[in-house]
Amino acid sequence: MYNYNNAKEVCEVFNFDVIFDIGVVGLRILLPIYAIVIVYQCYAAMRRRRRSEKPLVTLYNTRTFEKTPVVLWENSIGRGRANDITVDDPTVSRNHCVLLRRSDGWFVTDTNSTAGTYVNDERAEGRTQVLIDDVIRVGNTEFQFLRGEEYDERIRSSWFFKKVNNKPAIKAWKLMLMITLFHLFMSIEAMFWNDGTNVFSPLIMFCALAAVEWGFFSVSYFALRRVSFELEALALFLTGIGVILLVRQVEKSAYVQLIAAVAGMILFCIIIKLIENPDRIIKFRLPLMIIAVLLLLTSIVFGKVTKGAANWIYIGFISIQPSELVKVIYIVIGANALDVLQTKKNLIEFIIFSMICVGLLALMGDFGTALIFFVTFLLIAFMRSGDFKTIILAVVAAAIGVTFVLRFKPYVADRFKAWRHAWEYAQAEGYQQTHVLTFIASGGLFGVGVGNGFLKQVAASESDLVFGVVAEEMGVIVAVTIAVAVALLVVYARAITTRSRSTFYSISACCAAGLLVVQLSLNIFGATDILPLTGVTFPFISCGGSSILSCWGLLAFIKAADERTYSLKR
Amino acid sequence: MKRILRRSTLILLFTIAFIVGIGFFTVELVMGADDWANQPYNAHISGSGGLEQAGAIYDRYGTVLAQTVDGNRVYNDDITIRKSLLHAVGDNSLNISTAVQSKYRSQLTGYNLVWGLNMPQSLRTSHDITLTLDAETCAAAYNVLASYGKKGACVVYNYKTGEVICSVSTPGYDPADPPEINEENESEYDGVYLDNVVSSSYIPGSIFKIVTSAAAIENIPDLYDRTWECYGSEEIGGSDITCVESHGTINFQEAMAHSCNIVFAELAVELGAEKMTATAEKIGINASFTVDDVETAKGHYDVSKANTNQLAWSGVGQYNDAVNPMQMAIICGAIANGGKSVNPTYIKSGTGDLMKLIGLGKGESRDMFNSGTAAKLDEVMRYTITDYYGDNLFGGLSVCAKTGTGEVAEDKNPNAWMVGYSKDADCPLAFACVVEDSGFGFSYAGPVAEAAMIKASESLRSKG
Repeated sequence: MYNYNNAKEVCEVFNFDVIFDIGVVGLRILLPIYAIVIVYQCYAAMRRRRRSEKPLVTLYNTRTFEKTPVVLWENSIGRGRANDITVDDPTVSRNHCVLLRRSDGWFVTDTNSTAGTYVNDERAEGRTQVLIDDVIRVGNTEFQFLRGEEYDERIRSSWFFKKVNNKPAIKAWKLMLMITLFHLFMSIEAMFWNDGTNVFSPLIMFCALAAVEWGFFSVSYFALRRVSFELEALALFLTGIGVILLVRQVEKSAYVQLIAAVAGMILFCIIIKLIENPDRIIKFRLPLMIIAVLLLLTSIVFGKVTKGAANWIYIGFISIQPSELVKVIYIVIGANALDVLQTKKNLIEFIIFSMICVGLLALMGDFGTALIFFVTFLLIAFMRSGDFKTIILAVVAAAIGVTFVLRFKPYVADRFKAWRHAWEYAQAEGYQQTHVLTFIASGGLFGVGVGNGFLKQVAASESDLVFGVVAEEMGVIVAVTIAVAVALLVVYARAITTRSRSTFYSISACCAAGLLVVQLSLNIFGATDILPLTGVTFPFISCGGSSILSCWGLLAFIKAADERTYSLKR
Repeated sequence: MKRILRRSTLILLFTIAFIVGIGFFTVELVMGADDWANQPYNAHISGSGGLEQAGAIYDRYGTVLAQTVDGNRVYNDDITIRKSLLHAVGDNSLNISTAVQSKYRSQLTGYNLVWGLNMPQSLRTSHDITLTLDAETCAAAYNVLASYGKKGACVVYNYKTGEVICSVSTPGYDPADPPEINEENESEYDGVYLDNVVSSSYIPGSIFKIVTSAAAIENIPDLYDRTWECYGSEEIGGSDITCVESHGTINFQEAMAHSCNIVFAELAVELGAEKMTATAEKIGINASFTVDDVETAKGHYDVSKANTNQLAWSGVGQYNDAVNPMQMAIICGAIANGGKSVNPTYIKSGTGDLMKLIGLGKGESRDMFNSGTAAKLDEVMRYTITDYYGDNLFGGLSVCAKTGTGEVAEDKNPNAWMVGYSKDADCPLAFACVVEDSGFGFSYAGPVAEAAMIKASESLRSKG
């Protein structure tokens, strides 16, 4: 490498090379640490700037003189211990009624109780408005409906919001600056890639990306006057990583991806607006179900078979995957407000709809998405009913279904024969998995640098195997960090469950986060031969317009569950 | 809403399962990273560029076998040394999977899980490796072996320390100028990526009489009081067992020296399948030996379905018998050691923490023979040389040996074998040589063994 004949020249060449190389390695080591800091900051910010834990209203029991604080937007009242407000009165039904808050005041809904619910001695039919100082009677118990200030004891808050440092969270614009800087570092790394051509294309991409990031931030901050931006910041962070990695894989797709992400952000805002009133969206359940089934049917009829699954439809030069959009609809249909859940316990409608969805997906041969829908069905069904029997029944039914499929179509199993035996089929069915493992190992903890990987030469590396690409080029630390960042959405969605404005939001947020985690698991573990390779996308990172669109759409449910979303900045 | 929170625990369980899965993957990564990275298709290390950062490879006396100069991998200047060490050292590709440059490529190039494979060159720590081989001995053996133009192998190792001095396999090619193998020349290069020393097994012929002798010595008390009659051919179990010549009345020691098939065929039948198999198993004919992370090809001795005639043939190394050259060298070394084998190794030392990275286990030792059996085998194998071939054969070394001519198929010449060891305290060397499709063991394998042993002993005596 070096010319040792001329000492001076050696010295110069040596110095430059080593300094440059130390810079390269320094950047590679910096990025993982930086990624961890960003993810930490996003989640730390989510814990802060909350309203203090004070009761919204107080229920005054006129018989026992007890004051019960009402802290939730939707409260079930009943004899059962699991209720939000437990009434120790034998004349009260197990799940007697629901007391809920809407933008136009407080309401009480009787949920098929035996004794009925009365407001100021009038029997409540449907949602009945309750005003301050009104008297709600359930069974033989009477509650006077008082202001929140009437209750002056401290209320425990959930662990996620407890023990939060008093220091204010990182300012949203600072967080955005950190994220933009991260993407800039990635782009600089990507300039020195193993192909050597188009040195500056990552920088051009970065400019477009930064414009999108700050554009979205400005819209959210100034036009929509949102209080918080951490969740969007996290998603932008992930989206940006995917886009810049893509510049060095299929450059044209990177721009398509960015455009799709912008569409996703618009969808994100639209969904938040649409579900602003959870009672209204429910009225559109039936049309939405029909649309969902029609979307799936179109892909069966017009779908092109790609990688063994007929889940793509082509409209001109645009290809879309309808099943991705159906995910969003599926969550809307699954969730509901608490009083509706308690009145209509019947799951039949939802079960039939789910069976049609899963069945159509299986028919297309898209077993990965079918599995995602099935697990999401389990989650929603359990969230709604709390009934283990339904879950077990569904799992048994699915097991029988799978057995039948394998019995009559044994070649389906062949697609998965390399599972846990990838090395034995390294040149055939296990080709993708073994390459992923090899290149993950080659990347080490800090990666070989953006654009320097070789996994990108393997088919579907930018979508199904993207975990391997991230690990190879940016290192295992970054790959695991972004995977955990997505998985932690579940923790966040759970933390805000009881602070949502309706169980509609709680259920949809938890299930959307759950769906993303299931999809994430199938992607990562499929690519690394821990689960069968089913070819689903890595949320926010994988290349795929429909996929990124649906991820942003699903994120909207988590955003909407945060009660601050609908409160304007003061 | 608290109910909803409680029910959402199910989703949390899925997330926990995901985290557990990530943990499981991490464990798999830590355990498997070396193997995962070391794949022929891995563009980070394979191809001509893959060894850019690799350290040098030396023979036991410091001769450079391979090193990187100005980003290019260069091999020894001498073409014979290059060719003779091809299978031990390897070339730029990962085609010869048992070669040092293939199996330890990631360690040579400084791979570890922390830094991966793309550290900038100026910051990489590569490792040098010193082999136990002697380049000159390998070249000497290769010259003779390659002159036949057949497939073959020759291995010489120190049966006290386990150090392999000579390991040569044919056919080979020049690693500095690897051939492009296509449809036209593929027959010429058939099996060229296979190191026949460790990865092939052959029909042994008369060298298998060592095993039959061991079984006889241990199971027949009056073995040395007996004599046999050999008329060149004898019917055993319905068909003839043939001998190279008519030996007349012959005792056990003479039978070994003159390699009389009739005697050993009768012994095998007398001992029976059970005792023959027990001895073969004890010696490890059906086993594989681990030599620096490489599993040697297994030999084969299975008479469970043999009739009497086949059992008789199995005693003289025919029927379906097979042995591997490295295995035979280990067996001969065990006889020299009084029955205990020492596992061979090719690696003498490495710079930095290379030895730790390679993580070689201590060579396992095996009890192959009772010390009494070993002493008696030593006696007959020594007698074979002194009485039959003449003791000046190996340049003054006190060699004990056995030749073999493994008959293969009608259209092919037999496998020529010679295995043995020297008793000299300053040259404790065991050897095994095989030449496929050639002729009499002594005529073809003999000269290879002779060249290798003489050169090895010279080197050991002059350079240590």
